[in-house]
Amino acid sequence: MDLSALSEAVIQGNIEKAKELTQQAVDAGEDPQILLDQGLIMAMDTVGENFAKGLLFVPQMLRSAKTMQECLAILQPHFQAGSVTSKGKIVLGTVKGDLHDIGKNLVAMMLEGAGFTVVDLGVDVAPEAFVKAVSEEHPNIVGMSALLSTTMPSMADTVRALSEAGLREAVQIMIGGAPVTAQYAEEIGADRYAPDAGSAVIKAKKLVASA
Amino acid sequence: MKLLSEEQIETVDRTARRILDEVGVKVLDENVRDRLAAAGVPVQADERVRLEGPWLDARLQEAPCRFTLFSRDGKNDIALGSGRCHFGNGGRVFQILDMATQGFRPTLLRDVANTAALVDRLEFIRFYIIACQAHDLSPAHYHRNDFYQAFARTTKHVMGGVDSLEGARQMHALAARIAGGEDTLREKPFVSVITNPISPLTLDGESLRILEFCGRKGIPATCAPAPISGATAPATLAGTLAQLHAEALAGVALAQFLVPGTPVLYGAVASTMDLRTMNLAIGSVETAMINTCSVDLAHRYGLPIYASAGITDAMLPDIQAGFEKGVSNLMLGMAGADFIHLAAGMLDSGNSIALEQYVIDNEILGMTERILRGIRVSDGTLALEAIARVGPGGNYVTDEHTVENMFEEFFYPTLAVREQYDRWTELGSPTPQTKAHDWVEDTLRRSELRLDAALVEDLRNRFPEIVDP
Repeated sequence: MDLSALSEAVIQGNIEKAKELTQQAVDAGEDPQILLDQGLIMAMDTVGENFAKGLLFVPQMLRSAKTMQECLAILQPHFQAGSVTSKGKIVLGTVKGDLHDIGKNLVAMMLEGAGFTVVDLGVDVAPEAFVKAVSEEHPNIVGMSALLSTTMPSMADTVRALSEAGLREAVQIMIGGAPVTAQYAEEIGADRYAPDAGSAVIKAKKLVASA
Repeated sequence: MKLLSEEQIETVDRTARRILDEVGVKVLDENVRDRLAAAGVPVQADERVRLEGPWLDARLQEAPCRFTLFSRDGKNDIALGSGRCHFGNGGRVFQILDMATQGFRPTLLRDVANTAALVDRLEFIRFYIIACQAHDLSPAHYHRNDFYQAFARTTKHVMGGVDSLEGARQMHALAARIAGGEDTLREKPFVSVITNPISPLTLDGESLRILEFCGRKGIPATCAPAPISGATAPATLAGTLAQLHAEALAGVALAQFLVPGTPVLYGAVASTMDLRTMNLAIGSVETAMINTCSVDLAHRYGLPIYASAGITDAMLPDIQAGFEKGVSNLMLGMAGADFIHLAAGMLDSGNSIALEQYVIDNEILGMTERILRGIRVSDGTLALEAIARVGPGGNYVTDEHTVENMFEEFFYPTLAVREQYDRWTELGSPTPQTKAHDWVEDTLRRSELRLDAALVEDLRNRFPEIVDP
C-alpha cells in the first residue's frame, strides 16, 4: 500500500486528513504495524529532521506530533496486547512551589510525539508525589521543570527523596527550565540537563538507550 | 509620521518658491542658460536663473507622478508613487572596513562586485546603488566597469552616480546591450542615475548634460541636493528644509525643461554639521527630521522622492550605528517615502562601508517594513474562536490558528540574539556582528554571476575594456 498520502498528512500536521486515511487503511485490512512504522513513524522522522534543519517551527512540529498521536489512537485497538512498544516512559512535573507549566507542557508534547509514554504530574509537584509516581509507574526517566530560581531547590529535594525511598537507581533524572544549568544538574545529582524541549527529546532518547 | 502641520509645510513651500523666484539658482552652463532665456526665463549676468512660479508649476506638472524602476528579473520592481516604501543602500564611499582586522582600506572593483552580490541576496534591500569607488580602475573606462560588476552580480534595480557624460554613455551602452536594445531598455529601465546640484542653489553643467542624456534615453534620474545645515544651508531645520526644497524642485523643473516628461525623482539628502568640530553629522537626529519633512514637500507636488535614511556617523557596526540607523529608517518609512537610499552598508558619515553592515541593515529594514505593514485586524486575527477553543489555562502553541498565522504575523530576525543563555554560550556567544560576518563569508563563497554565460561572452567581446575585479 502507498502510505505517502498518510505520511504527508502527518508531516503537514493535518489531523483530520491523517485520521481519515488511517481509518480507511485499517478498514481496508492493512497491517497496523506497517501503518505505524512506514506511515506514522517515518513521517515523524522527516518532521524531526526538518525541525533540526530549521525548516519547521515548534507549533508545526507539535501539530505533527499531535496528528501522530490521534492516528495512533485509531491503530491501538488493532494491535494485540503488548505488541506496540513505547520508546520509554517518563514522569514529568513542575516542581513544588512553581506554577509555570508551558515549558513542561512543550516537553511533554514533544516526548509524546517522539513515541514516549508521558505521565504528566502537572505543576507544584511535591517530592513525595514524584516518589509515589515512580513507585507506581516504573518510568525510565523523571523530568523536572522550574522557572524560578527560588523553586530550583525543590529539584534537589526531589532527588534526595527518591534516594531515600530507594528509587534513585531505578530512574534517570532530567531537569530543565530557564534558570537551570548543566552545572546545577551536576550539583544536585541529576543525570541530564536539557536547555529546551527539542534537546529534552534527544537527551531522553539517549538516556533510555544507555540505561 | 508628520513633524510639520499642513500649514507649516505650506509655509516652507512658499519660502522655497520665493527662494527660486527672488534669489534664483546658479546654472553653470551657458548652453542651458541660453535655452532658458530663449524660453523667457529671467537669466541674470551672474549666471543666476530666476524660476518664477508659473514657469515652475508648468515644468513640475510635466514630471511623472508614477513610474517604475525595474529589476532585471521582475522580482524587485520598484513602483514609485504607489505609496510603498523601498529601502536600499547608498554609494560612492572610498573605504571599506575589514571586520577581521578592524582596519580600513581604500575600496576596489571587487568591493562593487561583493556588495552587489550581497544586496542581491538580502530581501529588504530592494535596490542596489553602486556602493563604492573602485580605486583600481582607470578613469577612461570607469563606468563601463563599475556598472558591469553591478549588473553581473545582481538582478535588482541598479542606480549609480556617473562622473561625466561619457560615463553615462558607457553605462547606457552596456545596459542597452544587456537589455537587448535601446528600446527595450527605455521600456523597462533597470538602471538609473544619480546627479546632485551643489548646495547652496547651484547646478553645474555636467550634471545638467547627464540629466538631459538620461532623459533622452528614458533612463530615470534624480538631481538630489545634499545641503548641510550649518555649513551649506542655514543652521535651522526650517531654513535648511526651505533651501533643500527649492534645490530639489529646481532639479526636477530643469530636468523637465531639458526633456519634458522625463522620469525624475525629487531628491533629498539633507544632513547637519556638528558645529563644535565642523564634522559632518549625517547620523544626527536633526538629519532624520529634515529628511522626514522633505517627504511631505515632495508629495505636495505629487513627486516620488529619492529620500535618505539609515545613515550613521559610527565607524563600526556598533550600538551607535544601530540606534542612528533604526531611528531614521523608521521615521522615513513612517513618513511614506517612496525610495530611501543610504539605508544599507554605510558607516563613518557615508565615507565607509562594511560588508557585515549590509546584513545588519537588512535586518533593521525587515523590522521597519514589518512596522509599516501594520496590524491586521479582522475576525480571523482577533481570534475569538481560537480563544474559546483553547479556553482558560490552555495554550496556543499547537492550535491551528497559531500555525495559520505565525508566518505572516511575525518578523523572524536572523541576526538578533534570542537564544537562551546556555545555548548562546554553547554556540560561542554570537552577536549580530559575528553572525553577519559568517553570513557574508558563506554567501560570497557561494555567489554566482547574474548574467548568463553567453551574454557575458558577448559583453566581454563587445567591450574589451571590461576587466576582472
